[in-house]
Amino acid sequence: MSAGKLLSGLSQHFLLSLKLNFRSTQAIVYGYLVPIFFLFAFGSVFRSDIPPLLFQMGQLLTISILGGACFGLPTALVAEREQGVWRRYRLLPVPAGSLVASTLVVRLIIVGSAAVLQILLAKLIYHTPLPLHAGQIFVAFLFVGFAFLGLGLLVAALANNVPAVQALGQCLFLPMIMIGGVGVPLAALPLWAQRVSGFMPGRYAVDVLQRCFTDPHGLHGAEFSLLSLVVIGAAAGCAGLKLFRWEPGSRLNRSALTWLGIALLAWIGAGLAAAATGHLDPVLTNAVAYESVTTEQINQITYEGLPGDNELVTRLSPPFKPNAVPERAKEFALRLKAWPLSYADDPGQAVRNLLSVAAVADIGADVREAEIGRVVFNELQARYERDTLCHILTWVILRPDDGTVITLVPGLRLRRELSEPIVRERCVLYAKKYLGRLTGKLPD
Amino acid sequence: MFTRPPATIDVRNLAKRYGSVEAVRDVSFELHSGEIFGLLGQNGAGKTTTIECLLGLRRPDSGTITINGIDVSTNPAKSRQLVGAQLQSAALQDKITPQEALRLFASFYSKPTNTDQLLAQFDLVTKARKPFESLSGGQKQRLFLALALVNNPEILVLDEPTAGLDPRARRELHQIISGLKSAGKTVLLSTHNLDEASTLCDRIGILHHGQMIATATPTELVARARANPRLTFRTTRPLDAAHVAALPQTTSHKEEGLSWQIITTDVNRTLSALVNELAATGNEMLDLQIQRPTLEDVFIELTGQAWSEAGAEETA
Repeated sequence: MSAGKLLSGLSQHFLLSLKLNFRSTQAIVYGYLVPIFFLFAFGSVFRSDIPPLLFQMGQLLTISILGGACFGLPTALVAEREQGVWRRYRLLPVPAGSLVASTLVVRLIIVGSAAVLQILLAKLIYHTPLPLHAGQIFVAFLFVGFAFLGLGLLVAALANNVPAVQALGQCLFLPMIMIGGVGVPLAALPLWAQRVSGFMPGRYAVDVLQRCFTDPHGLHGAEFSLLSLVVIGAAAGCAGLKLFRWEPGSRLNRSALTWLGIALLAWIGAGLAAAATGHLDPVLTNAVAYESVTTEQINQITYEGLPGDNELVTRLSPPFKPNAVPERAKEFALRLKAWPLSYADDPGQAVRNLLSVAAVADIGADVREAEIGRVVFNELQARYERDTLCHILTWVILRPDDGTVITLVPGLRLRRELSEPIVRERCVLYAKKYLGRLTGKLPD
Repeated sequence: MFTRPPATIDVRNLAKRYGSVEAVRDVSFELHSGEIFGLLGQNGAGKTTTIECLLGLRRPDSGTITINGIDVSTNPAKSRQLVGAQLQSAALQDKITPQEALRLFASFYSKPTNTDQLLAQFDLVTKARKPFESLSGGQKQRLFLALALVNNPEILVLDEPTAGLDPRARRELHQIISGLKSAGKTVLLSTHNLDEASTLCDRIGILHHGQMIATATPTELVARARANPRLTFRTTRPLDAAHVAALPQTTSHKEEGLSWQIITTDVNRTLSALVNELAATGNEMLDLQIQRPTLEDVFIELTGQAWSEAGAEETA
């Protein structure tokens, strides 16, 4: 058979499979209505966040892809196999895997369209910002889809019938939702569950998708998560293809256990590699982190050696006079108020993000650096109670390497990308300057 | 211009085992171009396994199968290009239409049959855009036959195509299969229906417990039978059993009220004497049936089991 004929046949199969999907009420319900239901469920819980849902989009999309891949794909495959459709396909003069590949691409498109629908509806209904990196989220989706469709293929190969798909699918779905960082955020999980989540692909899926929404660096720095998804997906996909059954009523032999073992080894390998490379460090909730700071710790902070406000680094303008706020400071203050990353769920992280803005302006020698330092301080005081702010700033000073910092802020017209360690260092200096003023140990 | 050699299937010493079960053992047969060959056997006799090996869907434990000289084991994809097949327990998606199914399957072949022509040939034009789930059993089987022809093959393999169909749909399908022969196709037809085999097939191979126990034309098979013809008749008044027993060439007889069954070695002589006897006694014959040995008798003689008993045993 010529390659052209094979492609023509596969494209017919691809288009027809898509068409048949839209003729099935069940496929529409599970493929689109359930993801929309999850969007509303998340929306009802996180609608008060500013902006709503932005920091949950990674989880939300992961749930949709996971559902489509672990339930939608194997349910369709097993139902068709048990019906005898694949027995008829088997008579075609095409390589065995090509029709399976066509089916996987169809499912990828169905899941992808559901994800796009979720993003657009979230924007429309909750005003959730679109991803910071539209191109990269497509790449992230391909990696996540590859991993989960591989798992779906394995479920299809292992399940003898459709009810068995549901049972096996739940064995993957529920652990990832509950303790895999997909349904419940990592920071809300106990430490043991956070470690366990490192052995599940869901954690890496949420990571890469969420980065595309909120991380200025996008997928840069997500190499480990991407690699884990590829390894887990490839192992499961190979096992699924090897164990694929064309015949209704056919049963697996004992070699299936070996292939299942290979697929599971990929999970274990990813978890162990994550632990060995520091990718499983505990994710602390901000509340736990900064609330544990004591008054004594706040009082122990020293301010010797801090650069002056008019020196080369960490410049800080004096307080603005009520009716003489510079225009460019006013404009920057407005932009800062609308900057989504300053509204991270975790107040500790939100303050660290705001401190990053002052640090980035300072390191980048922005002409407004001193004013920006003051605008950030004003914004912090406007948003947080003095006591809370003191705790958070002390936490930043004592734990300079916790959480994340922003090194590039194009949304605030700070377009020069900077080195993370220097940004962290300047964040600490600004945190000290602000804390000293709040506690009265530094003149303002 | 390239011309294909005559279509033939050659199966030699085929054996296939599933665990401890020997599904097919040392099966050999061949199909000649333009004939309908019937693979006759009860459920579980090994028909489907033989067909699946022939189509390259299962790898035989031993033996060889060639289609037009192409070894199926080493060239399954190439041999599948030459064959059109309809399989038992194969199906299509509930929502697919006959037109879509035919176009899909046709798209994989380099010289497909015109799908509209197939819809017309198999009387599916009015159902072309209806979902598969809405078709009747006969319509579904006609569609599967059309799908088997979608690559315009010279050889057709049909695995129990009339199983589960009502008599009318079965008759329709018989006409279609006979038409395929007229169109020059070579057909391998598996069936467990004795009448179907004797009506449709040029030659029959009888499979029993995975072994081919006989291969010949239906006429040759029946001619080999040792069983004698039966005369079954009914009269208006009772007959004297001694007179019936004394009819020439009669080997045995059985009486049920006014109905009689006589086994004879010479139908003409026994029947002539019977008519004379009735005329002499003023008795009248109400009906008469002459039954020659059938494939069932052949099967009983070959296996020592009745056709239905064998089926029950196999499927148990």
